[in-house]
Amino acid sequence: MTKMICIACPVGCHLLVDDEMHVSGNKCMRGEKYAIEEMTHPTRILTTTVKTTSLLTPRLSVKTKDPIPKELIFEALQLLEGIIIDNDVKIGDVVIPNILNTGIDMVATKSVTINPFH
Amino acid sequence: MYDYVIIGSGIVGTNIARELSQYQVKILVLEKENDAANHQTVANSAIIHSGHDPKENTLKAKLCVEGNALYEQMEKELNIPLLRTGAFVVAHNKDEELMLDELYERAIRNGVKEILFHDQEQAFKLEPNLADDITKVLSLPSTKVTYPWEVAFACLENAILNGTEFKKNSEVTDIKKEKDYFKVEINHKVIIETKSVISAAGVFSDQVAYLLEKNVPYQIYPRKGEYFVLDRKAKGFVQHVLYPLPTSKGKGVLIIPQVHGNILLGPTSNRQDEKDLLSNTRDGLNQIKDDLHTLAKNIPFNLIIRTFAGIRASSSFDDFYIQESKTYSNFFHVAGIDSPGLTAAPAIAKYLVDHLLKHHNLQKKNNYDPIRPKKTVFYKLDFEEQLALIKKDPRYGNLVCKCEKITEAEIVEAIHGPLGNDTIKGIKKRARAGSGLCQGGYCEQTVLKIIARETNQPIDKINYYALDTPILVQETKVKP
Amino acid sequence: MKKDLVIIGGGAAGLAAALSANHPDIHILVIEREKALGGILNQCIHNGFGLHVFKEELTGPEYASRYMDEFLKMNIEFLLDTTVVDVKKNDDFELTVSSFENGLFKINAKAVILSSGCYERTRGSIAIPGERPKGIMPAGSAQRYLNMDGYLVGKRIFILGSGDIGLIMARRMTLEGAKVLGVAEIMPYSNGLTRNIVQCLNDFDIPLYLSHTVTNVKGKDRLEQITIQEVDSQFNPIENTEKNFDVDTLLLSVGLVPDISLFDSLDFKRDAVTKSAVVNQFYETSVSGLFICGNALHVHDLADYVSVESEKAGKSAQKYILNSKEPSKQIHPIEFNSNIRYVVPQLIDFDQFKDSIDLSFRVSKKMDSAIFKIMQNGQVISTKRAKNLAPAEMEKINLKSVTLVDQSPISLILEEVIL
Repeated sequence: MTKMICIACPVGCHLLVDDEMHVSGNKCMRGEKYAIEEMTHPTRILTTTVKTTSLLTPRLSVKTKDPIPKELIFEALQLLEGIIIDNDVKIGDVVIPNILNTGIDMVATKSVTINPFH
Repeated sequence: MYDYVIIGSGIVGTNIARELSQYQVKILVLEKENDAANHQTVANSAIIHSGHDPKENTLKAKLCVEGNALYEQMEKELNIPLLRTGAFVVAHNKDEELMLDELYERAIRNGVKEILFHDQEQAFKLEPNLADDITKVLSLPSTKVTYPWEVAFACLENAILNGTEFKKNSEVTDIKKEKDYFKVEINHKVIIETKSVISAAGVFSDQVAYLLEKNVPYQIYPRKGEYFVLDRKAKGFVQHVLYPLPTSKGKGVLIIPQVHGNILLGPTSNRQDEKDLLSNTRDGLNQIKDDLHTLAKNIPFNLIIRTFAGIRASSSFDDFYIQESKTYSNFFHVAGIDSPGLTAAPAIAKYLVDHLLKHHNLQKKNNYDPIRPKKTVFYKLDFEEQLALIKKDPRYGNLVCKCEKITEAEIVEAIHGPLGNDTIKGIKKRARAGSGLCQGGYCEQTVLKIIARETNQPIDKINYYALDTPILVQETKVKP
Repeated sequence: MKKDLVIIGGGAAGLAAALSANHPDIHILVIEREKALGGILNQCIHNGFGLHVFKEELTGPEYASRYMDEFLKMNIEFLLDTTVVDVKKNDDFELTVSSFENGLFKINAKAVILSSGCYERTRGSIAIPGERPKGIMPAGSAQRYLNMDGYLVGKRIFILGSGDIGLIMARRMTLEGAKVLGVAEIMPYSNGLTRNIVQCLNDFDIPLYLSHTVTNVKGKDRLEQITIQEVDSQFNPIENTEKNFDVDTLLLSVGLVPDISLFDSLDFKRDAVTKSAVVNQFYETSVSGLFICGNALHVHDLADYVSVESEKAGKSAQKYILNSKEPSKQIHPIEFNSNIRYVVPQLIDFDQFKDSIDLSFRVSKKMDSAIFKIMQNGQVISTKRAKNLAPAEMEKINLKSVTLVDQSPISLILEEVIL
């Protein structure tokens, strides 16, 4: 029997999963999906930053478009080391396509202009 | 070869440097920390006492009263801030009123000129927030409040202007007397030669003296004092410095209006072994809150923005120890300078230099300049003056510290100059950025970037205060 | 310079207010002290924004850009890198404003919206004992250094306060290579969203010490060690429960305070609990023409609620400028029982009460199950059941004008239901 708290939405239902992967305690179907996923292949959305050459915005905030396997988080972070954005970027632009072969892109969550003229 | 090496750049060392810089002598001030004025000078009540408290016929009494008067002259010459608060010592009953009478007598004998009593009605008219059970107060109009480290900076800047040298990050690690000069070792590395040494090393005075002498005639007994700082929104809560009746432990826990509008609550007075342990304690802070009820009501504790602690250089000698070494001529102890050290500092300097004049051949300079020009405190200027300054330098238009209204231009000024500083706390001491309600939560990152720009350093080299205390410890997203 | 409406602060609140106040007959000016619009959202690079307003999960900067894009399309005037230094009121408002680019100048405005956000409580204000070395800072400051400038402020971290800022930073610091040794929380329960406990602490095996606080700090120039201790029901440290941690950084997530000192001289009526102004359902303060919304009015947990509230404030300011208002006679404070910590708005102007009012409130303690009653003149005019109430989560209740019996004061009664 595994206890866990659902993170699919801010309610945070307290879930119980038995050895046969039966889920209880969830108020909606997302909870059941989350619980099974969490037991078998947990995933997380990664939100982090990437270095840029912009003086005003030295770091560009990015995220994985969808959750990626939890065990790949630190490897994904390592991939971002040494990347330097030196071109203009718009929100939603792909910064790293298909990160670690997950089929999921890492996208910009901010727009950056590298050479703004005031 | 220097004529005088002064060990310590606190309020005493800097006053001595300034006094000596009037003469044609070569002076070096040594400071072990990364800035001038670090220990007692930055952790006290800021009071320029009237002289009612020290024991009669002591140096403390004499130099306190003289120092109080000298601050008037320092205000004119150095443009230091001076708040003429006056002070009340309070009594709650007939027994205490008798003790007020004794204080009165002592003050008169110590040479305090301005002194009077207020009855209950008059006292509450002047200070509506006094504790309800106060029956009579002793009023000391000559009591003032200053900004202690600015006074030390002002003295040292003026001394430097008049030829004094200053070395920070320079700890004295050995002192040896040759035939007619001293070899002063700094940081176990460099040797400085000097005819005389003046030790104004505060809490470390006995340790410094032991470097030279086997038999140091006093011992420093560190005594901690803790304080609360109220935000300047508390301004006006009281107008006077409020004292309880003194006890054997000292002057007691006070309420002290400050020059920029803040109010200090404290200090406690507790002996400890460590000289360098400036920690606040739960018991100490609770004691302040408990003791204050005898002074005032409606105390705005909700405006507390900070606590701090200082260590007094109290000594076994029970008075200021200002004497030439009995063993080695031309080594001067200026030790055991606890309260009223801040008040007495200019008088201590004169007292010492008067002695030197009798025994050393000191010629006055004819180009000595006692003036330190007034520092720009932008928020204090009126609108027209501010507009004029901004025309000259648009950095006065960029407000960096929103809580205390400090501009970029003032921060830049604090970085440069003979006593400029490139640390966050050093800038806070000079320009006051970070001294307000949010305690630098907002402006620290801007100050850090301004320092980096002005001193041509990368932002991750900017220190908090001491050497090697960078705020930014590791850059992210770079390959290791 | 003369404007109809000046909005102080171009973050979540200011942008939403500007969008709804916008009108062809009104000259609006938004004044922002940073070099970019967006406010605190710019450094909140994590998820969790927009679930209510956009029905999607967005990061802080994405949420901000939704409003910024609209704002820029509307061509509303704004100033960046500009600070309001002083405010006076005679007939209209006179603001003194300062910037590097434009120097010092005055602006007159008919109405002002204060959407200046909040600041973080400091070590000094909660009097944490110990030494005062480098390495102790508010969690939000560390967040800015990390997410905007790209630097860690330390490698071995302890966090005081389990509110969302503290939890989010526990994760952020860990992801960027620091070791977070623990989070201490003085209450017996965490203040943050449960999902954050999972995603920020459990995911990284970071221990959470409930009913603990920091009781000592060691280190002269640099932080070396902190001590936490368990506290009793009066929040006093319990002897012999000390735990020491060798760290170089202590991040503080111990509360936010509305940033409204600028307006102290205007002497508006205050709420001691929210630490900000008392407002009516139009988010207008006791100073007519002065409106407050967002974190400057009361500290929110969701940016979405900030936007909803600020839209209303903006609309109110617009109406204020366009119409002349009859002076109201029936203005009453909302009463509430001790299970409620505060309610915003605090006042209802019954003369102007149309349709409905959203009341935001926080409860005083955790309640699994409760019943909410709105009463007027001793009668219950509305009830609502509620579950999983917590002080850290702002709640809303809608008061409809049709349910009113008359124009006498409203009371909110929250009763815990013990199952």
